[in-house]
Amino acid sequence: MAGGERSGGGSAEVVECREHLFKILVIGELGVGKTSIIKRYVHQLFSQHYRATIGVDFALKVLNWDSKTLVRLQLWDIAGQERFGNMTRVYYKEAVGALVVFDVTRGSTFDAVSKWKHDLDSKVLLPNGSPIPAVLLANKCDQKKDGGQNSSSMDQFCKDGGFAGWFETSAKDNINIDEATRFLVENILANLKTFPGEENDVGKIKLDTDPMKAESKSQCC
Amino acid sequence: MSGSGNAAKEQLLWNVKKEVKQIMEEAVTRKFVHEDSSHVIALCGVVESCLLHMLKRRAAGFLRTDKIAALFTKVGKTYDVASDICKKVQDLLQQVDGRKSQPVGQESLKRQSSATSKALALTPQAIKHIWVRTALIERVLDKIMQHIVDNCSKYYEKEALLADPVCGPILACLLVGPCALEYTKLKTADHFWTDPSADELVQRHRIHGAHGRQNSPSKRPALAIRKRHSSGSTAEDRFAASARDYVESLHQNSRTHLLYGKNNVLVQPKDDMEAIPGYLSLHQSVDSLTLKWTPNQLMNGTLGDSELEKSIFWDYALIVPFSQIVCIHCHQQPERGGTLVLVSQDGIQRPPLHFPPGGHLLAFLSCLENGLLPRGQLEPPLWSQQGKGKVFPKLRKRNSRNRSVDLEEMPVVETAADYVFRIIYPGHRHENITINYHHLAASRSASVDDDEEEEDKLHAMLSMICSRNLTDPKRMKDISDMMEIQGFGAGLLPWQLDPCSQGSSCLSCSTSSSPYDLPSCCSCIHDRTPLKMLCESMKRQIVSRAFYGWLAYCRHLSTVRMHLSALVNHTIIPPDKPTNAAGGLTKEVWSKYQKDKKNYKELELLRRVYYGGVQHEIRKEVWPFLLGHYKFGMTKKEMDRVDEEIMLQYEKVMAEWKACEIIVKLREKESQTVTKFSSGSSIDSHVQRLIHRDSTISNDVFISVDEMDSVERELKVQEDPLLPGVSIDAPTVVAVLEQQPSVEFDSPDSGLPSSRNYSVTSGILSSIDDGQSVCFEDGAEEETGLDPQRPDKAHKTKGLESKGSVTEESLISVCSAAYTIEMLDTVALNLHRIDKDVQRCDRNYWYFSAENLEKLRNIMCSYVWEHLDVGYVQGMCDLLAPLMVILDKDELAYSCFTHLMKRMSQNFPNGGAMDTHFANMRSLIQILDSELFELMHQNGDYTHFYFCYRWFLLDFKRELLYEDVFTVWEVIWAAKHISSEHFVLFIALALVELYREIIRDNNMDFTDIIKFFNEMAEHHNAQEILQIARALVCRVQTLIENK
Repeated sequence: MAGGERSGGGSAEVVECREHLFKILVIGELGVGKTSIIKRYVHQLFSQHYRATIGVDFALKVLNWDSKTLVRLQLWDIAGQERFGNMTRVYYKEAVGALVVFDVTRGSTFDAVSKWKHDLDSKVLLPNGSPIPAVLLANKCDQKKDGGQNSSSMDQFCKDGGFAGWFETSAKDNINIDEATRFLVENILANLKTFPGEENDVGKIKLDTDPMKAESKSQCC
Repeated sequence: MSGSGNAAKEQLLWNVKKEVKQIMEEAVTRKFVHEDSSHVIALCGVVESCLLHMLKRRAAGFLRTDKIAALFTKVGKTYDVASDICKKVQDLLQQVDGRKSQPVGQESLKRQSSATSKALALTPQAIKHIWVRTALIERVLDKIMQHIVDNCSKYYEKEALLADPVCGPILACLLVGPCALEYTKLKTADHFWTDPSADELVQRHRIHGAHGRQNSPSKRPALAIRKRHSSGSTAEDRFAASARDYVESLHQNSRTHLLYGKNNVLVQPKDDMEAIPGYLSLHQSVDSLTLKWTPNQLMNGTLGDSELEKSIFWDYALIVPFSQIVCIHCHQQPERGGTLVLVSQDGIQRPPLHFPPGGHLLAFLSCLENGLLPRGQLEPPLWSQQGKGKVFPKLRKRNSRNRSVDLEEMPVVETAADYVFRIIYPGHRHENITINYHHLAASRSASVDDDEEEEDKLHAMLSMICSRNLTDPKRMKDISDMMEIQGFGAGLLPWQLDPCSQGSSCLSCSTSSSPYDLPSCCSCIHDRTPLKMLCESMKRQIVSRAFYGWLAYCRHLSTVRMHLSALVNHTIIPPDKPTNAAGGLTKEVWSKYQKDKKNYKELELLRRVYYGGVQHEIRKEVWPFLLGHYKFGMTKKEMDRVDEEIMLQYEKVMAEWKACEIIVKLREKESQTVTKFSSGSSIDSHVQRLIHRDSTISNDVFISVDEMDSVERELKVQEDPLLPGVSIDAPTVVAVLEQQPSVEFDSPDSGLPSSRNYSVTSGILSSIDDGQSVCFEDGAEEETGLDPQRPDKAHKTKGLESKGSVTEESLISVCSAAYTIEMLDTVALNLHRIDKDVQRCDRNYWYFSAENLEKLRNIMCSYVWEHLDVGYVQGMCDLLAPLMVILDKDELAYSCFTHLMKRMSQNFPNGGAMDTHFANMRSLIQILDSELFELMHQNGDYTHFYFCYRWFLLDFKRELLYEDVFTVWEVIWAAKHISSEHFVLFIALALVELYREIIRDNNMDFTDIIKFFNEMAEHHNAQEILQIARALVCRVQTLIENK
């Protein structure tokens, strides 16, 4: 008997279970560890044995964001040397967030970050016309030789470059990857709140149904 | 009962059906259902809705918020199965309570990240539906439901769903299936969350494959796409032994597929009886389609025990296999729903089925149309209308003399709401005639000079006649006939050329010898117009249509020829002449060739390769021929000479780039040192640089003495393993360089500004100081002005001098001088890319040990060194790897790779072949499978074919297993001479065609398809694909040839 009340604890309110599907791009120069980050994030494993990505690969991650929200991330792992003209435009289509990755041990990959960001902003925009939120990942931080990362200049760089934020990550040691994606999803959800009613609501499921609604208000002896 | 109440119940029940279907499908494909599957939750949700419908307040517990809990508790008082569930639920809830008090459970974010803490936790949705869910997972939900239905008066209002004499029992029965499943807590990754995987899609397709492999009827069939028919055993329609079995058979089960179900369809079993309601259902088994109608009295067991009474109802029940039905009459009345009469071959009309109002008749027809699919179709077909789905064909009624015969049979001719559909089987032998007759009937003998709509319809039909006549002969006849594309014309030309002989006799009677045709005509047509007139009119129309058909066919063909003729060789080289080539190029054939080179024609060998591949043992010998390293017919001596040349060239190239690599390494060391000195991490320095944009060149050249020393020492150590073949004292390098500058810098590819080229000799001849200044000139240029480190340079220069090792000095200076900064940057970039990819190239394949990877790197570097303008592009390693595996010899692999890349490099970004491939794919699929093309166009338009990118870039290397890559590649190489230089297109097309039903049935968009093929990588059946590809080439060849 006691159990009965428990599961009905939410009273007669209609609980909406929202389900979002977000397309997230993972871009950056070749060999910076995009695939490794994704494998770590989705499958919780790291291995040196990945092949170079040709074209694009996919992974799906499901987050129980909160009791009412389910977030499905569709991660697009785009090859680092994807230079085939219009194709990236097609890959970027309808993305709502991006992780831009570089390798802290190779400065040239950082130089390319701006190039990737520019490519991104020129090819995909949110429905309201603003650029999609992008988070900068400084990957392979486990291999960094010196500790002194000048975070203020990175902050400045992100500000100037239009990045929502940056994280030092390591796919190998599983550092900051969950945090970075969570940060990105927060940004995406915030965008969604500011501009609601976009088609991203793939499944807005109302699990409660109407028949009892009217009844529950009336009292009877 | 009010209409709206009924509709609500129907909706509730429909929801349950839908979810049951989903969950059963998941069960079939996965063998088990995960407890947390979204389908379980969804099913629980809809079942609860049913339970809550018109629940008596007393039963719900007056003040209880959770009415389901109250209901279960109440039922549990009288029914022990339910009371067990109550206990279990309470236990579960207590556990959940316990967890909730722990801090871990609170953070919803934590929950997902730490999988371990979730072991027992129930999802919020699971808790919400805990009662129904527990009953379901304990597999007693159906029993409880049945109990509630049996005792519905206790809990429910009269109008409740569960109190309904029909719906209630149906609901209980629906749940029998899901309650027979196994539910598991097993956590396999998180696959139950994901979209169905490619494997699963393929598996599902196999399950439904019986009716899937076909074009949908509304679309024009492609030019002669041949479909295989699955030959399943005939599933007989047996009357189920027991009533319960029978009722269960009405639902979805493993043997048959429930296509349609509708209750309260009225049937008047006898003339002197009132119409009685019943459940109408449409079932599809492997190769039969059956309609069943079961009186409600049988469905819900409300009858008394009187066996006699029951048996009467059993007599009323209808079971109609659609194979017996040739004709369907529909009478649509807006207010009263629709009536449908089935007419069988023998002309007997089945009792009319009265559908309730609201589109049910149309829904039924649409299901029927789908169900008939593998072989049969409705004629005229239902029309697809955007946004509305299927609609009745629009037929213009006329009172003209041309009025159609079967119209007159209709009781209400004027209301445009009566239709006659025929069920036809295009595969049938006398199809040509049948089709034409039907078009005649379908068009209601519209006069040709009609308005546009009529005209369009006519055109649609013409194209249908045309395409069907083009297609079906091939599809249906033996394979031997397949090659004979003239069959296209054969269907048309006799009428066109000699219409009188055919048309003068009455087509509908004399020529339809098919058992399907003759009686149906008789049953449908009670003609009052003179037969002669009818025949005349038919004749005229057949002639005109045949002409239009022929015209359309010619136009189509000319398009085909224009777009496709360049894609294939025009001579068809058959697989069986002079001998059967399916065995491939075997060892015996090869040794025969080697003994008697003159009498063996190259083409014959290639034909064998094309149709059957190369036996693995001789691949090593044959591949160099296929790739062009050797020419067929070469003598041993000539071959040796080729090898020798290649050997020399390879060594030379190796020496060149290895020398350059040393400089590059050195520079890298230098720049690292500088960044160390410039304080902070490398990133910081880059950040600074990017922010301030002081400098555009990223390679700093300043270096301290100590660093220089250590760099040089390291270099010394590295030299030996780096250059096994070439000794590394400075003179050698210089010598190499002296030989090479012209080659390097005069190469038109290099594109380097000549002012940047420092001659080697000047470097050597100049003093050490001069050498230094040359060496550092670039650095000086870029750093001028902001140079606090300038003193370092002087210091260092001195230091180097004092070191006094002249050889080392000259080595560095000379080498630095030999290359421009740009070139060194390019080489460095390419080396880095090559290293990155070599390290991760096919490490799972046994061949690629560290040693062989090193060889791979050498070959790749050599190739890239010679093609620095293109540079290394990702994917090149993938192309080289299989060659190495087979040839296992550096110079040979290098030579063959160079030959291979002549074609393949065009696919890389600078080439432009990729766009051509995509454009060709577009033309090919448009012509060979227009339905699929249309679908691709509709679903977000991915007719850019970017999902084929990797296929073309790597010649399908990533799509197939290694062993299959060998076979497919050989065939591609041989195809150039045998069938088509663009054979890759046909392989790509074969891949698309092989899975076309899956692509179509799942309405795949770009993401879906690219994901699907990514997941299918290395799961394809290469032989099947090659077979399809060869057949496709042959088809295009035949199309073009057949002018």
